[in-house]
Amino acid sequence: MPELFINGQLVLAEKNQTVMQAAVANGISIPYFCWHPQLSVPGNCRICIVEVEEEKGDNWTDIACNMPVSEGMRVLTDSPVVLAHRKAMLQLMLLNHPVDCGICDKAGECTLQDYHFQYNGAPSVSRDAKVRATKFHPLSDRIVLDNERCILCSRCVRFTHEVSKSHALGIQGRGDHSLVRAVENGRFEADPYSDNVIDLCPVGALLSRSFLHKARVWYLKATPSVCPGCERGCTVQIWHRKPEWKLQALDPRQNTSIARVTPLENSAVNGPWICNKARDLARIFERPRAEHAMLSGAPVALPVAIAAAQRLIGGVEHPVALVSSWGSNEELAAFKECLGGRFASFVKQDCRFEPGEPTEDHLLIRPDKNPNTAGARKLFGDTAPAFHEQTDLVLVWGEGFDFARLPCGAKTIFLNAYQQPENARADIFLPVSIQTERRGHYTNFEGVVSAFEPCFPKDPSIADAEQLFAALAAPPEARV
Amino acid sequence: MSGTKLLMTFPVTATSHTLADYRARGGYGALKKALTQMKPEEVTHEVTAAAVRGHGGAAFPAGRKWAVVKLNDGQPHYLCCNADEGEPGTFKDRWILEHAPHLLLESMLIASYAIGVRHSFVYIRGEFDLPYRRLAAAVEEAYQAGYFGERILGTDFACDVAIFRGAGSYVCGEASALITSIEGKKGYPRNRPPRTTVRGLYQRPTVVNNVETLANVAEIIARGAEAYKQVGTPKSPGTQLVSISGHINRPGVYEIEYGYPLDRFLHEDCGGVLGGRALKAVIPGGISTKVLTGAEAESLTYDHAAFEKAGSSLGSGGMIVIAEGTCMVRLLQVMLRFYHHESCGQCTPCRDGMGWLHRIIDRIVAGQGEPADIERMYAISRANDGTTICGMGDAAGYATVAILDKFRDEFDYCIAHKRSRLDGRLEVHDHA
Repeated sequence: MPELFINGQLVLAEKNQTVMQAAVANGISIPYFCWHPQLSVPGNCRICIVEVEEEKGDNWTDIACNMPVSEGMRVLTDSPVVLAHRKAMLQLMLLNHPVDCGICDKAGECTLQDYHFQYNGAPSVSRDAKVRATKFHPLSDRIVLDNERCILCSRCVRFTHEVSKSHALGIQGRGDHSLVRAVENGRFEADPYSDNVIDLCPVGALLSRSFLHKARVWYLKATPSVCPGCERGCTVQIWHRKPEWKLQALDPRQNTSIARVTPLENSAVNGPWICNKARDLARIFERPRAEHAMLSGAPVALPVAIAAAQRLIGGVEHPVALVSSWGSNEELAAFKECLGGRFASFVKQDCRFEPGEPTEDHLLIRPDKNPNTAGARKLFGDTAPAFHEQTDLVLVWGEGFDFARLPCGAKTIFLNAYQQPENARADIFLPVSIQTERRGHYTNFEGVVSAFEPCFPKDPSIADAEQLFAALAAPPEARV
Repeated sequence: MSGTKLLMTFPVTATSHTLADYRARGGYGALKKALTQMKPEEVTHEVTAAAVRGHGGAAFPAGRKWAVVKLNDGQPHYLCCNADEGEPGTFKDRWILEHAPHLLLESMLIASYAIGVRHSFVYIRGEFDLPYRRLAAAVEEAYQAGYFGERILGTDFACDVAIFRGAGSYVCGEASALITSIEGKKGYPRNRPPRTTVRGLYQRPTVVNNVETLANVAEIIARGAEAYKQVGTPKSPGTQLVSISGHINRPGVYEIEYGYPLDRFLHEDCGGVLGGRALKAVIPGGISTKVLTGAEAESLTYDHAAFEKAGSSLGSGGMIVIAEGTCMVRLLQVMLRFYHHESCGQCTPCRDGMGWLHRIIDRIVAGQGEPADIERMYAISRANDGTTICGMGDAAGYATVAILDKFRDEFDYCIAHKRSRLDGRLEVHDHA
């Protein structure tokens, strides 16, 4: 364990670490653009230059990200020499940068903006025209690239080579005319992790089309959540309008819609990455919702439907329950506790992969497209759903059940969150909340439990499964 | 005539580059000596003892570079001959490739033997046509004569060579960019550490030597280090091939023994400045070396120590002579256009700095300069000093600063009067 001094502070480093790694591990900040803990070290932005003090006074400077630690070395990260270098590098980086923060999606969370305010702050000393480059270059259906904002840190290029392995991006041309481009005949379009380059981009060069000019990030709030797209259960942040910045005019749905989804770094599950499916959680959660309870397709008030369900459950002999693999651990436990004795329960696969969706890969994507199969199986076993001739009631919780498979003559109680034709076919239909409206936990295929928090309020006409099960288990007369 | 010669020792004829002629001159004798009478360590020791310095520009002692590579460390080693020769004004390696390709190949074999190389590479400048054809033919001849392949000269030593043609990038003459280019990637220089001698080609220890540096190896082994050191000065043993161009009466490639007086070389060997003009300046070793005024240059002897004392260096041996009457503003414009064009675009200071310098000098030449431009150019050069991945940014900055320092009045005049003090086309007539 080499000991070194950074700004006079004693720091214990691992052998083979770089000064940058040692500094980050010890909470000392050295600015960087191109360096990333999960990617190779290209050392091209040169902003992390630090000074190393020598006994004889012949101090030298080099980049911290590529400087191996050595015993007793004394590193200065804020000496006048370092600050001058840093300022010069920022001056050069902004030389051809359009500085159009006012219309840039990255503004507010842009490293270049932050460092400029922190370390430079001076107006440009150039009077020459900036180098023009492509604006809005379509890298894929999902991502546009503003080459004028690009500082050529090559993070996105390295990501496709080292992490997603699609080798789909490269840098074309030389000098200040270099351009990040998708390689010819490459697979960037098909790279299921392509959107990570948007987060990786330290400036506003790589932009999400779905988020383009949608919101200023300071009006958004990030709520920790879990991607339900597969059994990996990547932790994510769901960004939505801050309640205190609620829109009074315009479309009120903007207050309760997902602006974007970014990874929530989690070394136990997904590291700093998520796949594109997680970016598109709005496509899952913002489908038309089922908002009314129904008895054989006729809308009724929620308490009426609950009472009917209680009576139905109370009057049958051989009920079967198909438990949702999208239920949280809390909901599943509530079901087990309240109704587990009453029902023969089986775990249902709510979702199967859609045509064209990758089934499994080297990085994150798993074949089971449900977030909590592991949690559900822990409570209810993993036998396939089976009906008998005597089965007289089937409680279906969640999507993905083919109603044609219902045993003849059995009644149905259906708990679902979305508008689907099956809802009206059930004898009793109860609308339930979705993940973004409640708090809970999922257990992923490796047994790691991750939490999600509510982003939006739940409509009062919609039931919360956890409480619903307790209500369904209570004898009808107790509630009257 | 410019002192003792080591390389240009034979008259160039239509067949002087062939294997038969080379063998008739005693060629491949040094290889036999090395393989049969010396251990690999002894070869390295001999080269170290000869204190031969790199002839590619950085003047790093070749033996010390070799000694970093540890024999029997259980991994393959590689040797890359840097024949990219892209430094403006430099065309001396071309002479070796065209007229003495076997000398290079023999030296590469000896070097490969010394540092335990099984596969060696020649990275040759893409624009070279005759040199390439001559070298390729020489490789063919050498394979047929059994100098490459298995069991060379009946010993256990085996070595292969491959020629790799560059695609016209200046920065690929930088050792690590050259390696990246051979690997099939974009020619980006790499960060140090690690040095190429620790992790180079395919992440293995790799020695990259200039053509001329390598060509000296056969000579060192043939003569022995002691005899070799008799040539040149104690600190700079040997000779340097100098390609001289510009306003000089007899441009071309000359071999200079280190320590030879530069004014004698310029005025006697090369016939003096074109049109009998005064010597305004000399760029001593490719445009990346700091310019010397005529007076500075004429007082120097041609060796590393003298040039370093004068604040410049021998560089790559590509000497450019500049006659009185030349506009230094436009000279700098040409240089900066080159650096802008050749910046690989990897690291910030050079990528953005070179373009900026180029735009500023274009503006000054166009009569739109302002006094603040001088300070801008200094600031950009400072920002490149020691901050870039490879030496190109530094070198461009040094070259710019040297011209600004020494010919500041021309720049001030150009900015103040919106025209060059030395307007019009420089006419230097060759009366000879």
